[in-house]
Amino acid sequence: MTALLELDEVRVAGPYGDRLNAVTFRLQNGERIALLGRSGAGKSSLIGVLNGSLTPAAGHARFQGMAIASLSRRQRARIGTLWQDLRLIEELSIGQNVNAGALGRRRLPWALANLLFRVDAEASRSCLREAGLEESLLADTGLDRSVGQLSGGQRQRVALARLFRQQPDLMLADEPLASLDPAIAAEVLERLLTSEADGKLRGGAQAVVVSLHRPELIDRFDRVLGLRAGRLVIDAPASAVSVDDLRDLYAP
Amino acid sequence: MIVPVRPTAPALVLLPALALLPVLIVVLNGAHGGGAEILGSFVVGAVSPSMDPALLKALLIGLQVTVATALTGWSCSLVLGVLLGCLSSERLWLTWSLPAWPAIVLRRLMALPRSIHELIWGLLLLQVLGLHPWVAVMAILLPYSCLIARVWRDQLQSLDPSRLQAILQTGSSPMAACMTALSPAMGSVLVSYGGYRLECALRSATLLGVFGLGGLGMDLELSLKSLQFHELWSGLWLLTLVTIALEQGLRCWRSWGEQAQFGQRQAMGFAVAVGLSGGLGGLWLAHLFPEAGSLNWLPVQWPDLHSLQLAAQELPWLSMLWETLILTVLAAGIAIGLPPLLLLLNPARPWQHCISGFWILVRVIPPPLAVLLLLLSNQPTLAIGALALGLHNSGVMGRLLQEGLEQQDHSAQVALTSSGASPQVGWLYGSLSPRSPSHLAYGAYRSDVILRETVVVGLIGGSGLGWQLLESLSSFHWAAVLLLITTYAALTLIGEWLSDRSRQHWLQS
Repeated sequence: MTALLELDEVRVAGPYGDRLNAVTFRLQNGERIALLGRSGAGKSSLIGVLNGSLTPAAGHARFQGMAIASLSRRQRARIGTLWQDLRLIEELSIGQNVNAGALGRRRLPWALANLLFRVDAEASRSCLREAGLEESLLADTGLDRSVGQLSGGQRQRVALARLFRQQPDLMLADEPLASLDPAIAAEVLERLLTSEADGKLRGGAQAVVVSLHRPELIDRFDRVLGLRAGRLVIDAPASAVSVDDLRDLYAP
Repeated sequence: MIVPVRPTAPALVLLPALALLPVLIVVLNGAHGGGAEILGSFVVGAVSPSMDPALLKALLIGLQVTVATALTGWSCSLVLGVLLGCLSSERLWLTWSLPAWPAIVLRRLMALPRSIHELIWGLLLLQVLGLHPWVAVMAILLPYSCLIARVWRDQLQSLDPSRLQAILQTGSSPMAACMTALSPAMGSVLVSYGGYRLECALRSATLLGVFGLGGLGMDLELSLKSLQFHELWSGLWLLTLVTIALEQGLRCWRSWGEQAQFGQRQAMGFAVAVGLSGGLGGLWLAHLFPEAGSLNWLPVQWPDLHSLQLAAQELPWLSMLWETLILTVLAAGIAIGLPPLLLLLNPARPWQHCISGFWILVRVIPPPLAVLLLLLSNQPTLAIGALALGLHNSGVMGRLLQEGLEQQDHSAQVALTSSGASPQVGWLYGSLSPRSPSHLAYGAYRSDVILRETVVVGLIGGSGLGWQLLESLSSFHWAAVLLLITTYAALTLIGEWLSDRSRQHWLQS
């Protein structure tokens, strides 16, 4: 069976040495993966390779059997990313930002219409509800509010709703819990990892990769990938990762 | 149900481009059969400019006059503008423990010279001083010094006063305190705004030439009127080279200063360059016109009250003001909306380089020449003026938009394209959106400039205040001239006020 995602000896060069070196792993449908490692270990680079924003200097990265670098626009839309810095568009409203998740499936006229009219409000609302945004912001007037007026937690939820609106097969999240208080962080993680009745994750995704700085949360995942200085040093079921493994991973 | 929402930033940047629709419809309807052939010859001339040595020599002399005029006018206006800017700053008067009312009076007095376009100053000075190389310099000096003074004063007023107070409390003299607390910030203003004004001065000197005040503009106008497009393009390419050299020089200077982080020394260097260029420009002009002699005041018969009343009854106020406003709105729409529209068509690098070349060309061609060119293939309409003015200003706006886009963070665009959005949509949402407020803020300022410039195309295109002014000047109808200039000044001051409010709105958003 073709793996959802397949990395084979991937290397990414950086200005001070390799950011990723000989990284190899496979990801199957239904898996929820925690990506661990110290700052600078290569987690964001790996997320970049997986969503196609970074091209490997060597090795192969494949999504559903196709090289990620050569994916068409439509195919690329099947990989969604929750970025560490969220990358919301400050000048746009909540609804427009959520709809930006659907731009991979739409053409320019729809993109222009989204800037002038309230387009697909119900779909935006539904995604925002799944992301846990409070009801007061789900009314039409709430959807039209600028994201610049939102708190950090609310912005995180809008970015999450944009990811759900994209309806990707693979969800990637780069440090989604950084700068969130523990209660909101737990809830955001819950919404990223919870399966629906059909076994799929929210937004219809089949798998999720989350990079984390908090090893205590790995029991929420099926599998753990640990990066150290660009090399994959842990690839094991979450239940098999010991405290010593994690201590070694984070050792200076 | 489709519910319109308040258009957001990127849409607001693109919507003004709708002004192109009525303008193009009118221009295409008004085109006549022979026009296509003339325009074809113009395009062919671009790739085969005349290389006749005699012509090139004449053009180089014209170019020297234009550059010397621009340098002298610019440096004198910068020195005078900084001085007037300091004198019109209430903060500085209060620092010397003096009442601030002289600053307020001076600011009000400077509004009139500022509001009148350099071309109008040029034509007026030509009437009262005769043809003399310093007429063009003075035409640049008068409005520019007041424009620079306004910007300088606004910058001084907007600086945090706590630094100045802290130094004054150490017992420092007001002069030393101002030098220490204010000059670092003002040095960068001097370099960036002063550099921008030099580019404007070069454009103004060329424009004044088109209207007979000497220099390359005059050569260009003669070539165009005699349909010598190969000769015209020799001059245009020369001007393009000078413009590119100037822009690149100023860009290097700015980036050099930013990287080296020695703003004070850089500003001092700039101030010395200003002084030197003023002196050199003046000597250059004296060398080019050895027999110019001194300036003499020619007799002008000032109008009495009765002739003013008669002139007021004769002038077609309603149509004149309406045409001026419509011209402004259409040209501003094109200037603001066309750059993002062209970049949206294809955000790929090679296309963007082509577009950069287009901006340079439309910036270099003075609007009256563009009007003359269009009139060769078209009937005189307001749309012609709007198209010429809009295209010229879109060159200025397009360059700034592209520079801003190059410097900004592209992470949102990367995020969108990696999620499958097309390059166009990724650019529209991820790059244009963050840039939109500053583009609109600059668009507000540019609309104010366009309102001033309507008089330039009006003179040629037969519309608005400009046309009436030319008629009145040609017939020495001083009463009408006085009324028209007063009206024009009032209109531009209202435009300036509206533009300021609009700019502040966009900068704060």
